[in-house]
Amino acid sequence: MQIQTHIENLKKYTVYLQVKEAVNQFLKKQGYLEIDLPVLSPALIPESYLEVFETQFNYFKSHKKLYLTPSPELFLKRLLAYGIGNCYYLGKSFRNHERSSSLHEFEFNMLEFYKVKTDYMGIADELLKMLRFITKKIFKKSYLFFQGKKISFDRWEKISISQAFEKYAGINEKELFDHHLFVKKAKKKGYRVRGFTYEDLWSQVYVAEIEIRLGTNGLPTLIYDYPKEFAALAKLNKNGQTAQRFEFYIGGVELGDCYTELVDWQEQEKRFFEEQKRRLKENKLYHPIDKGFIEALKYGLVDCAGVAIGFERLAMIFADLQSISKLKLINITYED
Amino acid sequence: MKINAGSLKKGEFIFYQSGIWQIQKSDFYSPGKGSALMKTKIKNLINGKNIDYSFKSNETVETLDVESIEMQYLYKDNENIYLMDERSYNQFTVPLSTVGSVANFMKEGDKVFVYVHDEKALNIRPPMSVRLKVIETEDSVKGDTVSGAKKQATLETGVTIMVPLFVKQGETILINPETGTYTERVKQ
Repeated sequence: MQIQTHIENLKKYTVYLQVKEAVNQFLKKQGYLEIDLPVLSPALIPESYLEVFETQFNYFKSHKKLYLTPSPELFLKRLLAYGIGNCYYLGKSFRNHERSSSLHEFEFNMLEFYKVKTDYMGIADELLKMLRFITKKIFKKSYLFFQGKKISFDRWEKISISQAFEKYAGINEKELFDHHLFVKKAKKKGYRVRGFTYEDLWSQVYVAEIEIRLGTNGLPTLIYDYPKEFAALAKLNKNGQTAQRFEFYIGGVELGDCYTELVDWQEQEKRFFEEQKRRLKENKLYHPIDKGFIEALKYGLVDCAGVAIGFERLAMIFADLQSISKLKLINITYED
Repeated sequence: MKINAGSLKKGEFIFYQSGIWQIQKSDFYSPGKGSALMKTKIKNLINGKNIDYSFKSNETVETLDVESIEMQYLYKDNENIYLMDERSYNQFTVPLSTVGSVANFMKEGDKVFVYVHDEKALNIRPPMSVRLKVIETEDSVKGDTVSGAKKQATLETGVTIMVPLFVKQGETILINPETGTYTERVKQ
């Protein structure tokens, strides 16, 4: 690991600050309460697609394990269950096992905001307003240029996962949701399938053939209704096959992930156990499941939806950069 | 050696789907659903073509033990370039299709690093820049000061590239051989 100082990034860093200021202004204006939260927690939400950092609190002979939070979700949902209403967090999150790259740092800033009595499409409207607000603040216009391409925030380009796989990868709806057919199709396309799960292959095809096309038609793209395997903490649609989850993209870069939040505690508990089992199977670090989270759901989580945005990625778009590290004055980089 | 694709680094050689490839770029990426990936640009050493490929980061790939040896560039014909290891006097060949346009900027007698695996030369490591003399270019018209304006120039290896108007015949310039672009004028 190395500490690198990049004073030459000062100009781009100021864009980062402008985006931060605009986001705070917008959310406050819309009535969202800013929440300051711990980043160390004794228990977490089990998520099989990420790895966490472990540390410990020492007091004489007592040692208590603590984990750096990979997202503020566990705390914010507790507060939502207790009636806090529309709220947001903009601060650090941590993900282990993510090597520094153009779009990843193991320590990064996350913007997460929740709105009550709405669903994922309600968040989509709010988000578009926010993007427009930031653009207007910084460029005094309703569009920006990212890597030489004009992106206008007048509306979303909306496309469902099924439509996108059909259009960009030639995979029809039947093949998309049927594990066996999907693997067969991936093999035919030349992907290595032996020893890999549906989820692994799905992700590989998605990144190679779908993502690069998103947010490249002059508008931000909103891609929605993911297979239930990627439901995580999202409510399922009535068809039982897809979850109310969307992600949004500009110039092929994924910026955020939104769910209509699952409020059914029994279903959530079931998913937690499945995720925890998968974590153990994949040799991920053991951490206690946050049972208080389930208790909060039992107490009654109001219908709501929330979005998590990689804040450096968002700022990177406004600073017209291809790598989040170019926004930073100090970088901790991983070297083999 | 077998490694996880998640550990692939720029410059490494891998054996993948019955071909030898060199990693040109590798960028970790986790889409937050399913496996994390290693987005790479890889170059096929047989046909010299670059492709983008996203490996699953937990996928096993075989890396090849490749040595980088400094050699003298001897000459080329229509198919290959010929090189000599100055320590062992062994001669090596690399197909022109593998070397690509870099060969246009190589001068007989130049020193160049060559990747060798199993006593076979896989490819050359293109230098960051090469120095070549301009053997033919028109004098620019005085007063033509459009910034960024360019003209054609033929270099001593016979290749023609675009150079800024102030470059004169007989001068030596630096070129990036991979992109074939002018970088600067060398003071004599």
